[in-house]
Amino acid sequence: MTKTKQLALSAVLVALALGLSYLERFLPLQLLIPLPGVKLGLANIVTMMALYFLSGKIAFSVLVVRCLLGSLFGGGLTGLAMSLTGGVFAFFTMILAKKLPFLSIFGVSILGAAAHNCGQVCAAAALLYSGYTFAYLPFLLLLSIPSGLLTGTVSAAAFRTLRSVFPTAVTISSDTMK
Amino acid sequence: MPQANAFRFRRGDFVAVAFVFLCALALSAGLWMHRGPSDAVMAQIYQDGTLIEEIPLTGNRTLTVTGSYTNVITVADGKIAVTSTDCPGEDCRHTGWIHVAGGSIVCLPNRVEIRLVGDGGVDAVVG
Repeated sequence: MTKTKQLALSAVLVALALGLSYLERFLPLQLLIPLPGVKLGLANIVTMMALYFLSGKIAFSVLVVRCLLGSLFGGGLTGLAMSLTGGVFAFFTMILAKKLPFLSIFGVSILGAAAHNCGQVCAAAALLYSGYTFAYLPFLLLLSIPSGLLTGTVSAAAFRTLRSVFPTAVTISSDTMK
Repeated sequence: MPQANAFRFRRGDFVAVAFVFLCALALSAGLWMHRGPSDAVMAQIYQDGTLIEEIPLTGNRTLTVTGSYTNVITVADGKIAVTSTDCPGEDCRHTGWIHVAGGSIVCLPNRVEIRLVGDGGVDAVVG
């Protein structure tokens, strides 16, 4: 892939991730489960697609740029610390989980969602100087199973669609951090 | 090299589900053993990690905490809640009324945390 194509594709992925995070704000999940930090993690779909089809390097830069821009659009510095810590935790967990031969994208996605929640709780604990926030973690971990399954399902569906539309263009990336 | 079947749910994925589930279970068991079992008698209000107010959970009263945003905290019938706020998301208000020692309401945008303590004090919950 040429540098220009890579840059354009990364920009599209960042835009997609920002769009998904924005969309997520309109889903009243907090009313259903009144815990801080509960969300679907739709933007993780983009990280996973980048991880599976492009490279770890692109996935990571898309993640960081998405968090930076996301905090400009809303969330501020607190939001940045939360999303970046969660995102980085999720990223490295998924890089490792992807290497496990018995896991499909579903397992990788669940572990990523769980790691994202761990990261966010750590960030919240650091921001508030308080260990109390860890009391939320068991609930958040349980919720990461359905939300991870959801993002995994969407990613798998996106993969199948892409493959049927562009049979030759879609290959699965095997290098993780090159 | 991941195969195309990396995109189908496999039996191995239950390992991930089980792992996350067991982590949640172990963590809640750990927290449960350290919890303060009783109704709270006192609420401590922290902002930016410092204790700014300590109020008993008796009678009815309201308290306003200002910062980046404004939280209105109400005490009634031994319970406490954030009843009005202008922070984005309003997670703190959605938490509702709490009364068990060890419980907390967090308003991350305003860096405010309300902790409920029983007779045993703070250390009864998380070591």
